[in-house]
Amino acid sequence: MSVQDYLDKHMLSRKLEDAVNAAVRAKTSDPVLFISNHMRKAVQSVITKIKARQILDSRGIPTVEVDLHTNKGVFRASVPSGNSTSMYEAVELRDGDKGVYLGNGVAKAVKNINDKISEALIGMDPTLQSQIDQAMIDLDKTEKKGELGANAILAVSIAACKAGAAEKEVPLYKHIADLSGKTSPTLPVPAFTVISGGKHAGSNLAIQEIMILPIGASKFEEALRMGTETYHHLKAVITEKYGAHNCNVGEDGGFAPNISSFREALDLVKEAISRAGYDEKIKIALDVAATDFCIGKRYDLDFQSPQKSGQNFKSAEDMIDLYKELCSEYPIVSIEDPFDKEDWEHIKHISSLGICQVVGDDLLMSNAKRIERAITESACNALLLKVNQVGTITEVIEVVKLAKEAHWGVVTSHRCGETIDSFIADLSVGLASGVIKAGAPCRGERLEKYNQLLRIEEELGDQAVYAGEDWRQ
Amino acid sequence: MATIKAVKARQIFDSRGNPTVEVDVILSDGTFHRAAVPSGASTGVYEALELRDGGSDYLGKGVLKAVENVNSIIAPALLGKDPTKQTEIDNFMVQQLDGTVNEWGWCKQKLGANAILAVSLAVCKAGAAVKKIPLYKHIANLAGNKTLVLPVPSFNVINGGSHAGNKLAMQEFMILPVGASSFKEAMKMGVEVYHHLKAVIKKKYGQDATNVGDEGGFAPNIQENKEGLELLKTAIAKAGYTGKVVIGMDVAASEFYDNKDKTYDLNFKEENNDGSQKISGDSLKNVYKSYVTDYPIVSIEDPFDQDDWEHYAKLTAEVGQQVQIVGDDLLVTNPKRVEKAIKEKACNALLLKVNQIGSVTESIEAVRMSKQAGWGVMASHRSGETEDTFIADLSVGLATGQIKTGAPCRSERLAKYNQLLRIEEELGSAAVYAGAKFRAPVEPY
Repeated sequence: MSVQDYLDKHMLSRKLEDAVNAAVRAKTSDPVLFISNHMRKAVQSVITKIKARQILDSRGIPTVEVDLHTNKGVFRASVPSGNSTSMYEAVELRDGDKGVYLGNGVAKAVKNINDKISEALIGMDPTLQSQIDQAMIDLDKTEKKGELGANAILAVSIAACKAGAAEKEVPLYKHIADLSGKTSPTLPVPAFTVISGGKHAGSNLAIQEIMILPIGASKFEEALRMGTETYHHLKAVITEKYGAHNCNVGEDGGFAPNISSFREALDLVKEAISRAGYDEKIKIALDVAATDFCIGKRYDLDFQSPQKSGQNFKSAEDMIDLYKELCSEYPIVSIEDPFDKEDWEHIKHISSLGICQVVGDDLLMSNAKRIERAITESACNALLLKVNQVGTITEVIEVVKLAKEAHWGVVTSHRCGETIDSFIADLSVGLASGVIKAGAPCRGERLEKYNQLLRIEEELGDQAVYAGEDWRQ
Repeated sequence: MATIKAVKARQIFDSRGNPTVEVDVILSDGTFHRAAVPSGASTGVYEALELRDGGSDYLGKGVLKAVENVNSIIAPALLGKDPTKQTEIDNFMVQQLDGTVNEWGWCKQKLGANAILAVSLAVCKAGAAVKKIPLYKHIANLAGNKTLVLPVPSFNVINGGSHAGNKLAMQEFMILPVGASSFKEAMKMGVEVYHHLKAVIKKKYGQDATNVGDEGGFAPNIQENKEGLELLKTAIAKAGYTGKVVIGMDVAASEFYDNKDKTYDLNFKEENNDGSQKISGDSLKNVYKSYVTDYPIVSIEDPFDQDDWEHYAKLTAEVGQQVQIVGDDLLVTNPKRVEKAIKEKACNALLLKVNQIGSVTESIEAVRMSKQAGWGVMASHRSGETEDTFIADLSVGLATGQIKTGAPCRSERLAKYNQLLRIEEELGSAAVYAGAKFRAPVEPY
């Protein structure tokens, strides 16, 4: 083999040149050491390029999409976004220029990826998720990722996770399971949003979501069948009672008939479950999002209504009585955010009653410190996991471990602004979260998560385990 | 040269929670290429036949038979074939493996158009990969088209007809950013108008009017069709795009046509409708002409019943120069009906729905035929979609000049628009946006 052949075969000149260029870009004080470290990373597949762009989420609002290139291929991720962002969650970077996409543009976050993050991560091994995530956190330097934008950081973190899976030549859910230590992949029980209210839809219903859980299915495919059939029956029930005008859907794909009472909504769902023939096999869950209608220490059940009677303010004690009644009259197994996120006292009270799973969403915001406090105080017994509230995959895995070590349930969740990225489907399987909440069996960004779970179950074949009755463990 | 090593189908769910067919084509080089088929709410009597299971599971909409047809019949027959030979593979599936024919051509009744199309699309993607070129470029090559064009998006923002529960007879009102300088700018315009429209509707009709239909459009409780046009005019003005964003309509007139007395009933959705408001085809034509006079309308789809060839021809003759008359239900992407419409000058644009014709090869042929006749072509989604973005690449590769794939809402719609953003980015300075030339962006090929 000639010298030239050897150089060509190993692309040695290019690799050396890349290393030298990287050292020059970094203006490192010790270029030889930098180059040797850089070359050491080149032993296996490394991140060769990261390119971001602005695309649109399911509400027609800008979001960040990233293509992360390695020697093995290109890995794409895009990030979800919520309506109700709070002071405890990671900070999403928006441009704020009202003349462009009404202020919701993400050109700055995109630029942060293309300029800063890209430079910092090129050359890194995509299987080293925690190092990649830490490098971005260090680059940002703020506690809530406000400098680079949590939307910028998360997009890259997810894309790197996908690249890491491909590098190890394992499915994404398996890679996530490996990153988290030891969990056995489990297909989650889907919590299908069937009725939307609160901020997620235009209706008078204060409660944000009513969900159905096909706990009695034997596998995910059957659960999805139960969910879609019940959903279609619900559409028929609503059409009969309220007319076809009430069959348009909210941001999560749930119906938003113009009703205002919890019981009225629950009766519709109960009727649909019965018509589909799944009594006993399908249970109900509520996402109250009570923070949205808490005023002072009272709860305004008419907050979405244009004609306020002023007669529907409830005290926290009234709400507890209401929840007890609803749980005894309907097959409700889970209530999310039953009280304002700072009303720790009453959340603890309802959890101590043991009438159902109590899920912390706004209470916790997937924030490790608040989760620790909630565990210590027995404030709730399940975590609603929203990856964009945390900001990196490594941290997501940490908060799930925290919850599971306390024997809590974990519900992997979408946001109301989603894309066709199905990452949370693989996440829910890899972390064996037991439940996934990804919206109605309606709207492509919701179905894409459920469709991915079908593919995973098919791929696992005989090894597939559906959470079913063990959904809380 | 990589060949087809395996073909595997499964049942997944479309954007309405209905079953649909998804196919993976696995090549000998280890790569796989996936496609899923769309499905319509209002299937025409002349379109390729979709195979559904019937029975009670999934309320009769299961597609397990179609899936089985792919796995048992099509898959073994395609093993070893070269995926770049699209025409050969499509004709083999359509004419030999299925072989069913009706008066309008190959109807795909035996295997199911949903089975055949899913494979056709996946093979097309595989062919592009084997040639190491983007899908849109592969499609352009298959068609013999040398010029790639980013289409003008036709955003469906207000719903009526059978797609919504309000009293609006006309099915869709769309906005077209023909005055944008790039697809990216067109998206910005469309999104901003959409959000302004949402605010206008919320203020006028209440918050329950801001929920969305199957394609992401709003369905405000409008009493009269003209009211929809006024809302659009207001939203476009508020966004600052008057003159740059114009209006299209999809009437879907077959839905309110009375075949017995040959009349159109714009009140067909009224609960106590007595039919007293029925009008003739000529009167309906004059309604459209008055709209065109009063509003910046550039496109009217399905203005008459699918068999009312007479009035189609009249309207096209009278306003066809300034307004595109699009045949959807009239044509159902069927070459024989397209040929008849060309001859009779019944319309001057084709609405291209790949699942109505059932294969990539036949879709290309329908487009080529239309373009050679000087027609416009609008590539279209269906009301049941998945995240498959094939029609985005199709619209660029065939230089249709227009794409109709819903509102900038719901990600099965936005996935197509997002893909067009990526394609434009990839083309860089070579990217050409159809803009005002949306009706004829390239020379016929």
